[in-house]
Amino acid sequence: MRYQDYYKILGVPRDASQEDIRKAFRKLARKYHPDVSKEPDAEERMKQINEAYAVLSDPDKRAAYDRLGSSWEAGQEFQPPPGWDAGFEFTRKGYGPFDAADFSDFFAELFGRRGRGGFTAGGMRMQGEDQHARIELDIEDSFHGTTRRIALRLPQYDSQGRLQWVERNLNVKIPRGVHEGQIIRLAGQGAPGLGGGPPGDLLLEVHFKPHPKLRVEGRDLHMRLPIAPWEAALGAEIPLELPGGSVKVRIPAGTQSGRQLRVRGRGLPSEPPGDLILQAQVVVPPADTPRAREIYETMARELNFDPRRRG
Amino acid sequence: MSEDEVIVGCILEDSWLTLEQMAAACGVEPGWLLQHLQEGLIPHAECLGGTWRFSGAAILRTRRMLQMERDFDAAPELAALVADLLEEIDRLRARLHWLEPSA
Repeated sequence: MRYQDYYKILGVPRDASQEDIRKAFRKLARKYHPDVSKEPDAEERMKQINEAYAVLSDPDKRAAYDRLGSSWEAGQEFQPPPGWDAGFEFTRKGYGPFDAADFSDFFAELFGRRGRGGFTAGGMRMQGEDQHARIELDIEDSFHGTTRRIALRLPQYDSQGRLQWVERNLNVKIPRGVHEGQIIRLAGQGAPGLGGGPPGDLLLEVHFKPHPKLRVEGRDLHMRLPIAPWEAALGAEIPLELPGGSVKVRIPAGTQSGRQLRVRGRGLPSEPPGDLILQAQVVVPPADTPRAREIYETMARELNFDPRRRG
Repeated sequence: MSEDEVIVGCILEDSWLTLEQMAAACGVEPGWLLQHLQEGLIPHAECLGGTWRFSGAAILRTRRMLQMERDFDAAPELAALVADLLEEIDRLRARLHWLEPSA
């Protein structure tokens, strides 16, 4: 277990006031907010910042942490001295299970002990906390369903009531028809209950990996459809290979680039199924042979067409 | 549980969450949720015969709002506004990524 220097993480001196600690936390929470930060390690930094603030913003936890002394270096191998926390009663304030699950072994060892108020049920029977994880799927998985093996780090109490992190591998059957942002619930696979209470659930948030041809919006699938000028002008029936099988799409005569064609029911499978939305893109063949140049020159001469003078 | 056992997941959209399940999933008290529902700050939820039910999409939104309120002492309305903007950014980023795959 490595020592965590919470003062260094927040960038404040050891004698910083509560107000200074709060200000430093907010400044960093804004800089490393995972949804907006451009920093490459934003998510990891935010976990450390949350952990440091959970300790330094709580007077009891801060006092117990300070008692460890200032001679430790960040990352140094660490074991808490016996009785280091005598006389302190830790309380948890406003930190949800998903935060606690992100905290380090160092935090779990110091503040995660059952019976000290850190993560206690006060002797009551209590359901375990729900846990959150993110799962990345291919768009194809939504059409066929799949089974994924996921590795999780879950908190568990040992026989002495100490919180420990346990690696767990789960084989999860993902149902057909999932879409971006949906939550898959695995009943009873969250944190274990306390005092004989039932375990919580594991909630997996679905995200699709980027696909070279397809984009998902809700239940609808979006796709660019390259078409030749004659297909656009005369209309055509074009066969398409999609994750859900092949489909023939009829292009109406006079289709221009950018026109959207909706194929009902050919999006992600669900009740009701989504639509396939095609965006026509006229691709001009190169004039790289004498014959091709001749055809273009004939069109230029005979079609009397100026694309900049269209209504 | 054996390593080879396969657990079957269920999509939350198909089975709505109750107020208590939603509170457990977000790590908040049911009262906190009720207060925010009454202010109209959590879409993806509906009230049928006096009982609230939530879709899966409400979890991410509620967690984002909770983070804003907790980290910055944001007023609930401001936290909801930030959650609206983050949802809009999610949509626009997905579209941008498709238009410019290198973006």
